Amino acid sequence: MNTHRYVRAYMAGIVVPTLGLLVALSAFVTLRLILHFPVPIERAIAFPMAIVPNLWGAWNMLYVRLRQGRHWGIGLHGLLLPVLLLPMGFLLGRALGVLETTPHGVTYFGAVALDYAHWLTGVLIGMSMYYLMWKYVVNALNEILGIA
Amino acid sequence: MSQNVNDDEERKLREFLRSSLPRVDAEPRRDLWPEMLRRMDVHEQRAVPWFDWALLGLAAACLAFVPRIIPMLLYHL
Repeated sequence: MNTHRYVRAYMAGIVVPTLGLLVALSAFVTLRLILHFPVPIERAIAFPMAIVPNLWGAWNMLYVRLRQGRHWGIGLHGLLLPVLLLPMGFLLGRALGVLETTPHGVTYFGAVALDYAHWLTGVLIGMSMYYLMWKYVVNALNEILGIA
Repeated sequence: MSQNVNDDEERKLREFLRSSLPRVDAEPRRDLWPEMLRRMDVHEQRAVPWFDWALLGLAAACLAFVPRIIPMLLYHL
């Protein structure tokens, strides 16, 4: 079962963020359309929803390629993905006007303000979540598809 | 007469097939059980290390104490 390794890697990679989209969309519909939360979430949600699952799939394809003939931990590989995603989200947020930086911290959607210590804590939490997701969930999916 | 011819042809055909097709071994060529045990051992050894539990607990505690981080995570991740 060594055929189509990269297709299977892509398929295994997109499962987690695709399921995450259900959560994100449910949160969006609840906040914006039902509770009428006065924050324009839709300005920033469409592009990440399109690109993040594909990026996960491509990242898993890269993992399968990198680990050929060498040891490369999947947890570490997943940990590095936010290093790519975070600046992209940051720049996108600045461009769309949903993210502002001040001398004291970062404000999201003009409503959620975080000082830099809490922002950095959030970054570390996000990276640890990615580490755990890739180490346990994506790796299990890779095993099921025979590419672990 | 016709029945004898048919039987003869059928016998020849059977012999021909037997001689053409490779013999199927009912028994595996090697003992597969040790490999199965090895795989089961590997699966059992893959317990979640304490470090990962600690990481998960720490992340959950941080989110519980500072819930303002959750929208930031939802946006960036």
